[in-house]
Amino acid sequence: MTKAAMRAGRPRQAPRRAFIHNDRFQMTAFIVPTCIFLALLTIWPFVYSVYLSLHAVKLTAMKRAVFVGAGNYVNLLGDPLFLRAMLNTGLLAVTSITCEIVIAFVIAKAFVSLSHLKWVNGLRSLFMLPMMVTPLVVGMIFSYVFNPILGIANYLLGGVGLGPVPWFGGTTAAMISILLINVWQWTPFMMLLIMAGLLSIRSDLYEAARVDGAKWHHVLTMLEIPSIKGIVLLGIILRIIDTLRFFDVVYVTTRGGPGDSTMVLTLYAYQQNFQFFQAGVGSAAAVMILVISIVITTFAVRLLRRIENE
Amino acid sequence: MLHAKLIGSISVMAMLTASAALAQDVDWKSQLGDHSGKTLRVMTITDPFIDSINAVKDGFTQVTGAKIEVDGYGYDALHEKELLACSQNDGSYDVMLIDGIWIGEFAEAGCLDPVEEKIAENPDLYAWDDFTPAAAGQASWEGQRVCLPVGIYYELMYYRTDLFEQAGRKVPETFEELKEAAAFFTNNQDYPGVYGYAMNNKRGAAAGQQWFEWIYSAGGKPWASNDIGAAEPYKDQTPLFNSQESVDLVQLFRDMVAFGPPGVESFAWDERANAFAAGKLAMINDWSVRAQIANDPKQSQIAGKFKAALMPHKDGGKTITPVGGWVACVNTHGAQKDAAWDYLKWFASRSVHRDFVLAGGPPSRLSAMEDKDIQEKFPWTSVLLEGQKDSWAEVRPRNSIAFQLIDTVGAHVNKAIIGEQSPKDAMDAANADVTKLLQDNGQL
Repeated sequence: MTKAAMRAGRPRQAPRRAFIHNDRFQMTAFIVPTCIFLALLTIWPFVYSVYLSLHAVKLTAMKRAVFVGAGNYVNLLGDPLFLRAMLNTGLLAVTSITCEIVIAFVIAKAFVSLSHLKWVNGLRSLFMLPMMVTPLVVGMIFSYVFNPILGIANYLLGGVGLGPVPWFGGTTAAMISILLINVWQWTPFMMLLIMAGLLSIRSDLYEAARVDGAKWHHVLTMLEIPSIKGIVLLGIILRIIDTLRFFDVVYVTTRGGPGDSTMVLTLYAYQQNFQFFQAGVGSAAAVMILVISIVITTFAVRLLRRIENE
Repeated sequence: MLHAKLIGSISVMAMLTASAALAQDVDWKSQLGDHSGKTLRVMTITDPFIDSINAVKDGFTQVTGAKIEVDGYGYDALHEKELLACSQNDGSYDVMLIDGIWIGEFAEAGCLDPVEEKIAENPDLYAWDDFTPAAAGQASWEGQRVCLPVGIYYELMYYRTDLFEQAGRKVPETFEELKEAAAFFTNNQDYPGVYGYAMNNKRGAAAGQQWFEWIYSAGGKPWASNDIGAAEPYKDQTPLFNSQESVDLVQLFRDMVAFGPPGVESFAWDERANAFAAGKLAMINDWSVRAQIANDPKQSQIAGKFKAALMPHKDGGKTITPVGGWVACVNTHGAQKDAAWDYLKWFASRSVHRDFVLAGGPPSRLSAMEDKDIQEKFPWTSVLLEGQKDSWAEVRPRNSIAFQLIDTVGAHVNKAIIGEQSPKDAMDAANADVTKLLQDNGQL
């Protein structure tokens, strides 16, 4: 191209450059790839799940899908196993998150009090290890630990004269065992959040409380809890979402048993989808889990905002 | 020690020489095509026999030039992966080993190529009649021979010879004798740390399969037209899960909890096999393929201290030995079907099957079960030979909803075992749920 021709082209490029430098274009250019990515990997599968949930269809014979409207949802809400799974998931969420907060607070307080000691940092890192392990591996480890005759748990109990415990054998024992495993793995996460909250409290506030003659429970209820409640609520939201997705440990250790005592929502959806290949019912269960997650999260986020505004 | 090792090595060499001699009876070069440069992918379960498949696979490569790649998965993962892949027309695996009870599901999904034509081309080499009748039944569906039964298991009862000899007790043959013997060894000061028996009690497939495996020996049957030897066992699937025989059987399962280790209510195959190998159980019933684990001194404390017997039966009845295991099928969507058929023709043949069994694989042919070398190496083989005479391929359901049906029954059986429901209530509920399941799927 000659220089003259290039010069001739310049006036035509000017509006294009202006368009490229336009804020609106730039924002669109940055957002569009993300939107396409989300549409392909999130929105489309969700829409397809909703579509499947309205059909009686097996994953191995998709062409023979029959439209059943809300039939799968009606059947789900009338299925005692699904209702039990909802109850168990709720129970597991409430009990494990409560235990995690209480234990995490005690440990976080200990770590904050001992933070002047050098070895505490190392211990704190070690304490983080459980939440770094893949949940499936955690399930496998505990299926050995809690093996009634070959596991270390009963061996140690036997050492102090306590009888063997059927960890996964009874309905209550199995639920408590699952709860223990969940608490063991996720208390460090809650502890991390609470510790961050405690460390953010100015030391002069503790000093003022001490000067005012406040007892430990006054410090706890009037200073520490109000200071960390926002971050704890955030932790609760994240843990609720986690618990609604809780699957691996139950899959490896109990498969929802004994009876239906440890059946959780995700295991129910997995069985319908990938063991029985009932894609319609399985998708309806997955959509229900999503709806429950959205409702709980929306409610919790509103609560969080209200606390932040107080 | 050295002497023993020398004798062992000589025996193995002698067996392999004998196998080679047998293998030479077939001119494989003329029977199989040239598949140089190809790699056949085989998908199978990670049961102990996967090592035996690998032990013999080079023989096929030597004759045809094709390499064999064997991928193993756990039970649920294999079911999910194989069925999803082939129902979505995925041909990345050429040969699939499937549980005989999945065959209806795989047939419905259009995954399998029938083997009928191949057998007709060379009936002597396939020697179909040499497969045990129940094995042949496991590999057939709706009157057609669909796959080749290469990894068939039978369920036997194993008992500790040292304990029974010390106690001077006879091996139980009936349910009542089983309960008595299990009670005798449990919490007995003469046998510290030993429990009588552990059953497959875990919720779902474990408890469900157990019910199907025992019901014929309890005098019952799972559905109306499934009589032993019936020509059309699926003609009338009216469920009979709440029959008196079934309720009595579930009561037996519940009674047996008292003679198992703590937590036995959550035991499945692995927990039971591990407990038996650790010397904690006097008796156990299990698939024949697992006997090798108990007989391996590296993995077991009871190697050489146990024997096999037929499973017990109801007083006045007889044992129907449960059959299960793996049938090898060609993926209908595979791109190398000629090579895959050649591989199965070779692998399922009498001579290669013998090598496979000597390497630890489960015997599926009568010739292998009758083989003196195999009987000597795996002493329980003679009991298998006896047990297969009274076996029935349809002891567990094999229709297209078998997986869900077994799981449904297992959930209810487990509720009775843990005492959440009475056996009668649990099996009434099982019957109602299975009826609905069959109706929803157009099978009733």
